[in-house]
Amino acid sequence: MAKEKKETELVVFGATIQGFAQACINLNIVAGTKAENLIGEIEVNGWYPFEKLREVERVVIEVYENSGPILERVGMEMMLGWYNYGPGKEIVNNGVGFLHFQTGSQGYASVVKGPEKLVGSFNLEFLDEDSGKARIHSTTPFNKDMERGVIIGGMSAPGDLDYIDVKNGANPQIFDIEFA
Amino acid sequence: MSLEELLESGTVPKKEDISEEELVKLFRKFRGLQKKQERDQAFWAATNENLKIAYEKLDEQERELAKAYGIIQDDLSVASKIQAALLPELSKKMASELDLAVYHKQLAEVGGDYYDFFKTCSGSFAIGVFDISGHGVSAALVMTYLKAQFMTILEALDSPKEIVEWVNNTSYDFLKTVKKYTTVNFVVMNTTALRYVSGGGFGLLLSGKGSTVFEKRDAFLGLRRRPFHEYELPFKKGDLLAMYTDGIVEAQNSSGADYSVQRLNDLIIKNAKKPVQEILDRCLEDYKEFRSKDSDDITLLIARKKV
Repeated sequence: MAKEKKETELVVFGATIQGFAQACINLNIVAGTKAENLIGEIEVNGWYPFEKLREVERVVIEVYENSGPILERVGMEMMLGWYNYGPGKEIVNNGVGFLHFQTGSQGYASVVKGPEKLVGSFNLEFLDEDSGKARIHSTTPFNKDMERGVIIGGMSAPGDLDYIDVKNGANPQIFDIEFA
Repeated sequence: MSLEELLESGTVPKKEDISEEELVKLFRKFRGLQKKQERDQAFWAATNENLKIAYEKLDEQERELAKAYGIIQDDLSVASKIQAALLPELSKKMASELDLAVYHKQLAEVGGDYYDFFKTCSGSFAIGVFDISGHGVSAALVMTYLKAQFMTILEALDSPKEIVEWVNNTSYDFLKTVKKYTTVNFVVMNTTALRYVSGGGFGLLLSGKGSTVFEKRDAFLGLRRRPFHEYELPFKKGDLLAMYTDGIVEAQNSSGADYSVQRLNDLIIKNAKKPVQEILDRCLEDYKEFRSKDSDDITLLIARKKV
């Protein structure tokens, strides 16, 4: 059931949940009734309690012992869907454009709403196109493996970059990005 | 040549064919592919690990299932012995009055076909043949219930109609609850005649030169609270009685044709002069030749009046 935006509650855009679920299905990470349940009654333009996304995430986390690489791939697949079948092409023209889109959390703000403290941010802190380095600081409630995949997928989707590496090993909230 | 053209050509380029800019691009592409490969490897490693865990879980579940199956098989084996023990033996007195041959085979370890020999309150012999709906343990448990019911009432009644109606009335609610019903073919015999009640049971009486197929239009036990009909037929020395369930007559051959009541009755009539065991064997040979496979419990009982 879609929920109206409420400032007191953390809510996530339906398209994000559906994008996650569809990515899982595309990658054959889940199948059968579990897959059908993932999509369930999610409305693309609805807003849902963040817990709904957690539920969908859990389907992967509970099934896979090492869920990190899986969630990373799901994040990548989500962004391919966003770019090829969603609004992505209209928003970003190239891989670096995806990084620019994160300035001031504008990309993130379009999919999560709620109390500032709970929403957090997904902000481009630094970008040097000449050296091919950038940094994103994320305090969002999203899974960080998935977020890493979102950055890789978002930058890869336009197809103009030859090399992308995203690391967040030391501090999961800090994504150090290299690209060329 | 551009880098794309060089890669497309498939030949190793000479140093002078590649500009520094293209070399840099090549290096980046290579690193990009390395990173992609690393990510792919991590993804497939996680997937494979998951597959391994799934196989281990599957193995464990298979072991548990095998263990559970073993327990069930042991239980069924005991149940089968108990059910066999509940089937009757011919009393000396009854054997002195009847030549009897019975073939009784359950499709599974335990089943729903049931036959029994009784004595009514007046001392008349009675034979009952039943086919309880379904197979397996539930049908076998209903059989034990019915046996108890018949044994109870036979101490008080003599008429097959009254006996069957009493059992139906007292069992009706129970059978409804457990979603079971049963055909009934119940015969009480005296010195010169037999009386029978049949709700879905098959019977054939060969008396003198004539033959009578049992009326079996009454309801099954447990289906309706309705009166049953009782029929009386002469039953004298040398007469032959056959009672059976649908296991043989509804068996099919490879073309899907039923064995049929007609075929079995004709065979019994044709062999009527033979000893009862021979008649039974002949019927079974013919059935086994005909049917593609057993698909139901089977009970076939043939009795000849000796005195």
